[in-house]
Amino acid sequence: MNLITKTTLFYLLVALLVFGIGGVVAYMLVENEVRKETDFALYDNLSQLTKDVADSIPLDILRRGKVDIAELGPATRDTFFVFSDTLAPHPHLQGVMEPYRKLTAVRQVGDQYYRFSITDVIIETDDIYEVVVEIMLRLFLILGVAMLFFSFLVTRLLFRPFQKTLEQIRAFRLKESGALQLPETTTREFRQLNTFLTQMAAKARRDYLAVKEFSENASHEIQTPLAVAQGKLELLLESPGLSGEQLGQVQAIQQSLSKLSRLGKALQLLAKIDNQEFAVQAPIDFSRITEASLSNFAELAALKNLRLSSRIEPNVRLSVDPVLADMLISNLLKNAIRHNEEGGWIEVELNREHFRVRNPGKTPQAPVEQLFERFKKSHASDGSLGLGLAIVKKIADVSQFTVDYEFAEGIHQLTVRFS
Amino acid sequence: MKVLIVEDEKELVENIRAYFSRGNIVCEAARDFAEAQDKLLSFDYDVVLLDIMLPDGNGLNLLRLLKQIRPETGVLIISAKNALDDKVEGLELGADDYLTKPFHLPELNARLNAIYRRRKFKGHTVLEFGDIRVNTDTLDVFVQDTPISLTVKEYELLLFFITNKNRALTKQIIAEHLWGDDADFMDSFDFVYQHIKNLRKKITAAGGADYIKTIYGLGYKFSED
Repeated sequence: MNLITKTTLFYLLVALLVFGIGGVVAYMLVENEVRKETDFALYDNLSQLTKDVADSIPLDILRRGKVDIAELGPATRDTFFVFSDTLAPHPHLQGVMEPYRKLTAVRQVGDQYYRFSITDVIIETDDIYEVVVEIMLRLFLILGVAMLFFSFLVTRLLFRPFQKTLEQIRAFRLKESGALQLPETTTREFRQLNTFLTQMAAKARRDYLAVKEFSENASHEIQTPLAVAQGKLELLLESPGLSGEQLGQVQAIQQSLSKLSRLGKALQLLAKIDNQEFAVQAPIDFSRITEASLSNFAELAALKNLRLSSRIEPNVRLSVDPVLADMLISNLLKNAIRHNEEGGWIEVELNREHFRVRNPGKTPQAPVEQLFERFKKSHASDGSLGLGLAIVKKIADVSQFTVDYEFAEGIHQLTVRFS
Repeated sequence: MKVLIVEDEKELVENIRAYFSRGNIVCEAARDFAEAQDKLLSFDYDVVLLDIMLPDGNGLNLLRLLKQIRPETGVLIISAKNALDDKVEGLELGADDYLTKPFHLPELNARLNAIYRRRKFKGHTVLEFGDIRVNTDTLDVFVQDTPISLTVKEYELLLFFITNKNRALTKQIIAEHLWGDDADFMDSFDFVYQHIKNLRKKITAAGGADYIKTIYGLGYKFSED
């Protein structure tokens, strides 16, 4: 439900309340006014009758259906008038009682006292109630239609700049350099929002570039000295007269340098993924990437005497960065080759729901839930960096996949689910 | 082969120079953007080794300049950034290859020679070593005029050996040449050994001499003696 519809509904709800209370108030006011007017008319009638009596018009003529005059004689008594409500039979309808207003008064005319009793039909409260409800309903209906029209107008005109802003934000990409083009608007709130968004976008982009530049520079500063050291070692290998032991030491240093370099690259990769430098793009053919990766690793698997079998559903398309997709698959395949057993096997399965790698191997020594953490290795002695699964997890996270690992009856099973 | 090394790290330049001094490669070095620009405008090189992170400019701009004035010059980008954007952009601008730091000198040598062969002889080269002949155009390998059939990895291995003949190559270097980033296996050394064993068998079976010398505890050397 959009903002305008919500506002309209809210207004209508308030209007309903206001009309309800308004109806009660209107009812009371009308009823009060009707009573006052009736009383006024009765009193007017009384004054006229008093005058008529003073003009010696015979009482029989003055007495009518609703007027009763009684002669009380000359004895002094209190003069007064009082209004009361009473019920009397309906003049035309049999057996129906109607509410009447009655004025009873004692007046002195000349030296005689008279008792006047005048009744008049009063408008029934039922009728007032019906009329008020009718009026309120009609007003409410008119208001409702007006509100609908109003909300349509507001969405169309007033909220146009806001919707344009939303579109722009949706299209905003950190990696692209185009500035955020927000529409001009005269509405103050939207202007404030746009200013804020423009600043935020600029800041986000600055931060993004700063982190990107930092990780690239850090990588440069680490890898260059490593390249120098590695070169020196290779030159050392060329020099004559090195003993077997010395050669062995040089090679050990070389391996450590290589591991250090790979570590730097892996950490840089994790930083890049964290910095969202791999944006999710248009769907790619995951099946093809899997096939390509499998043929890459077929040789390594064969060299280790592993049977590699696969069930790849063709044309599985997923929205994921192709570089990351390749890295995800090759990390899992590498893992399956590394943590396998002599003469073992690897089973790879890809379908629209998941990508799964199964292979036999030793029971992992670290708790299963720690396997996806950085530098947690299942077997402390092996030569891996301990970042492979952390990278897999990170790639899965940014691609909105989930990864789970199971180990049962000597078989490792890693599943990446595409949700 | 005349090579210009554009690299600001002095020691790295020294390494490359020292390594190439044993071959038929003439090296010159430029330490920064300005010097590199001067040299590229004044002299002709076969291949330029280009670090794209220079203290006073982006090496990719040097690449643009070079491709304008001497498009036939080969370019090998060496970078520590390992940034995909740079790699793609560099190759699109006309670089022949891209090598990330740290690299092995034999690997650099192999890549440099591959570029040189492609550029200079348009790929129509026959590499000879002893009684082995490799046609890098058709990928055919002959031992004493007998064709032998090699797998892709065995072929790559042989080519790597020939371009780095008479040099000590560790199993690590060979593994990284064959499998790149996937070489980080505990047992990749065993894999290297298996390939070497097969290659050796195929060469000697065709009547060739055993050129692959094992250096105990280290690796291998491809030499005639």
